[in-house]
Amino acid sequence: MTSSAMPGRPAKQSRFARKALPYLLSLPALLMCIGILIPFFTAVYYSLLRYRLNLPAMKGFIWFQNYINFFSDPKFWNTLKISLVYAGLTVVLELLLGLAIAMLLQKRTRLNNFISILLLLPLMTAPALAALMWKLMTNPNFGILSYLVSILGFPDMKWGSDPATALFTVTLVDVWVYTPFMMILLLAGLRSLPPAPFEAAALDGVPRSFVFFRITLPMLMPYILTATLFRLLDSIQQFDIIYAMTQGGPGDKLLVFQVQAYLDFFQATNVGRSAALMIILWAITYALSNVFIKQWLKLREKAHGVG
Amino acid sequence: MSQLSLKSLSKSFGSFKVFENLDLQVANGEIVVIFGGSGTGKTILLRLIAGVEEPTSGEIQIDGEDATDIAPEHRNVGMAFQNFALFPHMSAAENIASPLRAAKASEDKVMAGVAKAAKLLKIDHVLGHAPRELSNGQKQRTALARALAAEPKILLLDDPLRNVDAKLRFEMRLELPRLLRQSGATVLYVTQDYKEAMALADRIAVLAGGKFVQVATPEDIYLRPANLGVARLFGDPSINTTDTVLSADGRSVTLAGKPLALAADHASHAGKPVTFGVRPEAVSLVKSGIPAEVMAVTPLNERVVLLLTAQGGWELLASLPSSAASIPDPGSTVHLAFAAEGTHLFDKATGERLHG
Amino acid sequence: MDHTSTLEKVIRGILLALVVIFFMFPIFWIFLMSFQTNESILRIPPSLAFTPTLENYIALVTGQMKTAAGSLQLNFMQNLWNSVLLSSASVIISLILGVPAAYAFARFKFRLGEDIAFTLLSFRFAPPLLVLLPLSLYFKTLGLTNTYIGLIWVYQLICLPLILWIVRGYFEDLSPDIEHAHRIAGYSWFQTFRKIAVPLALPGIAAAGLLAFIFAWNNFVFALVLASADKQPVTVGALAFVTASGIQYGQIAAAIIFSIIPTFVLAMFAQRYLVEGLSLGAVKG
Repeated sequence: MTSSAMPGRPAKQSRFARKALPYLLSLPALLMCIGILIPFFTAVYYSLLRYRLNLPAMKGFIWFQNYINFFSDPKFWNTLKISLVYAGLTVVLELLLGLAIAMLLQKRTRLNNFISILLLLPLMTAPALAALMWKLMTNPNFGILSYLVSILGFPDMKWGSDPATALFTVTLVDVWVYTPFMMILLLAGLRSLPPAPFEAAALDGVPRSFVFFRITLPMLMPYILTATLFRLLDSIQQFDIIYAMTQGGPGDKLLVFQVQAYLDFFQATNVGRSAALMIILWAITYALSNVFIKQWLKLREKAHGVG
Repeated sequence: MSQLSLKSLSKSFGSFKVFENLDLQVANGEIVVIFGGSGTGKTILLRLIAGVEEPTSGEIQIDGEDATDIAPEHRNVGMAFQNFALFPHMSAAENIASPLRAAKASEDKVMAGVAKAAKLLKIDHVLGHAPRELSNGQKQRTALARALAAEPKILLLDDPLRNVDAKLRFEMRLELPRLLRQSGATVLYVTQDYKEAMALADRIAVLAGGKFVQVATPEDIYLRPANLGVARLFGDPSINTTDTVLSADGRSVTLAGKPLALAADHASHAGKPVTFGVRPEAVSLVKSGIPAEVMAVTPLNERVVLLLTAQGGWELLASLPSSAASIPDPGSTVHLAFAAEGTHLFDKATGERLHG
Repeated sequence: MDHTSTLEKVIRGILLALVVIFFMFPIFWIFLMSFQTNESILRIPPSLAFTPTLENYIALVTGQMKTAAGSLQLNFMQNLWNSVLLSSASVIISLILGVPAAYAFARFKFRLGEDIAFTLLSFRFAPPLLVLLPLSLYFKTLGLTNTYIGLIWVYQLICLPLILWIVRGYFEDLSPDIEHAHRIAGYSWFQTFRKIAVPLALPGIAAAGLLAFIFAWNNFVFALVLASADKQPVTVGALAFVTASGIQYGQIAAAIIFSIIPTFVLAMFAQRYLVEGLSLGAVKG
């Protein structure tokens, strides 16, 4: 056995090299951050410009005029309203449905596990493709769903192309794609709850509704909050489903923030307005994400035992 | 020249100071036990010496050279962790072989080294197993074998018996001194079990409150504890104490209303409040002395422990050999004498032991 | 809950069946459509009885679409290839860049690391167009518009935060003592990273990679803004395909099936880790 055969003097490492290591490792991620922050600040700058791609001569700094214009702009208020309604509607529906399904699947039986895996498939479908799938099924000429509702007494349902049912249609697709997200997070939450309080309640013959509202819900609350905020953050910026389904139509019926900003940018080529819209959406999501990240960190700490 | 020395070594995390200005010289081949309660920074001290953590200030010298900036892989130390820290994706043999392979030893030497360490620790039969297939005792032996395999000059053992069952701990406590002597390494051994410390150490360094309160041989620690804290840490049952005042001439104290002459002269502290301490083993029953009532009698191995209450309500324990002529019954009154060797006076304010 | 009545069992069974039907039916129906000719798709009422045909898939693979107006060139295979290329390259680069960074964030608690990790996390929730629209103008200037490199670069926005946060969690779960023991045994920092940290976190790294692949594959808006037809992935391509092919519904269905199968298969592999991935490491399944 080599008895401490150390050729020469052991190499001293400089303190600098040791201190620099973590920074070196995170350099790519840092560059990535800078790569995001540059366009972000560019967007902030654009939002302060009169900037139309088709009228380059008019380009100029106008401070907050783009934002001030929003106040008197019914199109903006429509965008804000429809975005909030869409987010609220989808998230509430998905939460209720997701919670109900999670409770149906709570017991760890083979069948339940199989179903919970099966239900992930919609979530694994690209939302844009999911919208296409539903478009095919709601086609007024041959769509299976159009046929089914006509049997139920709605013969001429136009789904996404009718202003009266457009919101319902995209909500349906959103619910189809994202309910499994709620379900799987809440299911994981439900299954991680300690069994003791439930066993005690069962022994004491406590009514089910009481158990649900006084034990299950409060204990599940961190999961519900995290999943809901997570979904809310995504839903208020929904683009794929709405754009693929109706491109924001019919009329201005589904012009949510990102769809409106996309159209402003590429169709109206009004970069300034588009950027200002995005900044407002960003402010909303930033506020929400701060609340969310706190919740999320708490859960993460529980899962990993470290902050 | 001492092989390992710590020079005013300090470590803090943010504003939290783990320890400050530790100094320690360890001679070649010496076994020093770092003893202290949990949270005193014993493990962190070993990590600093191993180089996997950096000191806030101070210096670590190995063979007289400043090693503070030497990377852990170049320090030529071996370390066994309290939680074993075996590489879970390698067999026991590969775990033990890892330091040899790192030193780029030939395959023959690696095999020989693994075999030797495994034989020494009696784990030859489980070399092919993955760590998750080993019992805690085998894991602990594998971890020790890995630490010993490359015959490091300095061996750091972080409470290696903490997570093994009582029977194995007892066996290992008997086995370890021989093993460690055989390795010839300079050993730093961390434990919070005073019996382990007494059994293994050439010297014990008692870590408390962020500094070494005493560094001395086991006998010294036991017979001449630096302060009340150290006196309490060593000994089972632990030392009996009561607050009293030293007489005007410094030659006696009043215990349970009776004066007790002291073997030594403490004139410097005459008239000052002191804490009187006596080890249960130093208490003996005599015809006339300090009267006390026997409250309870508990046999403990080859000894019997009496719970006594002296006048004034001082509760104390006496540990007598089971073979003692007569063990009194509960309720009876006895008279106590204290052997000078197990009797100490501590400054009431500082807790320091008063020297005779 | 052991004393569930028969009635309750029946109700549960019915509810579960409804749930399964709602979530599975669209996939099932599009799958059937993809094996039907246009004539059979357009029948009213729709029927499950039809002679399956591979015509739609063959048309997609050969790139020749027969329409009433004659043969039409289509390039769906190119879209599929773009999806494969963009997603795999993005994930590989993300892993190469993200795993060491995740390790640094997990092991060395340093201020800048936390700042980076949280900036990336907060931009994960920022509207993508906020960054994409200015980027599209920059890309024009830099000549990156409609290039794979440009797209792979922005796809890091999807993959990197995911990999950073999931893998970081896995590294944090490893006992640092194991790595310390390896260093002390005589190995350099890098050897320890390569031989201890990475192999032990491998299941998590693989899961994060699979998930990042799925998210990259399913992305729509990045390529919509930054790529033209020849570089577009299936998500954007399928939409363009609808416009181009007009009424070739069977082929649209086949294209959708082609596009969702890879993510379904990967999801089955990553199934155990999906909960953790979807919650960015906050919830363990």
